[in-house]
Amino acid sequence: MAAEYTIAAIAAPAAVVALELLIFRTGLFRQARYWITLAIALAFQLPVDGWLTRAGRPIVRYSAAATSGLRFPWHIPVEDFGFGFALVTLTLLLWRRQAVQAEHDRG
Amino acid sequence: MDRWQYAAVLAACVVITLPLEVILGARVYRRPARLALTLVPVVLVFAVWDLLAARRGHWWWSPDQVVGVHLAGLPIEELLFFLVVPICAVLTYEVLGSGRETPRGR
Repeated sequence: MAAEYTIAAIAAPAAVVALELLIFRTGLFRQARYWITLAIALAFQLPVDGWLTRAGRPIVRYSAAATSGLRFPWHIPVEDFGFGFALVTLTLLLWRRQAVQAEHDRG
Repeated sequence: MDRWQYAAVLAACVVITLPLEVILGARVYRRPARLALTLVPVVLVFAVWDLLAARRGHWWWSPDQVVGVHLAGLPIEELLFFLVVPICAVLTYEVLGSGRETPRGR
């Protein structure tokens, strides 16, 4: 039985990507600024998440049964990167969709 | 001060990214309706995920490092996280686009 958070951390990014490719079609993934934003978000996730999950006195604690046990870098559960990707990408999709729709409405 | 550990992390995120709006002209906070329409679904989806995960014991919060205010079963910080992180991401995205959109959606 695979760990539940591990499954969710794979399923959520897949769902968000499917939402864009099959339904929204905003073209976000073709924008360099999206990928750069993602890289910057990842760069900030390291210190922020690193502090939240730090060894010794973590602010957030994780069940060993729900996670793969892989932690990198430091004590960040690798699953958190799937969670972060889904959070940031869904946000940017919804933000961009409104611009695309406004453009469409203007003809 | 320990109870403010998580809140302080969020405050730092807000402060660090504020210049993107104020100095670099990202115009994210100044588009509150568009921002709200972006944030509402994000908060709903991730709060539900978070709540289910917490209920099933996937993760939990150190009680002495959160302020102790809970909303819908989650620490207030956790809900604020779902506002702060998306806002930071949109600010970054907008700054990179120099405030101009070139929608080419199909």
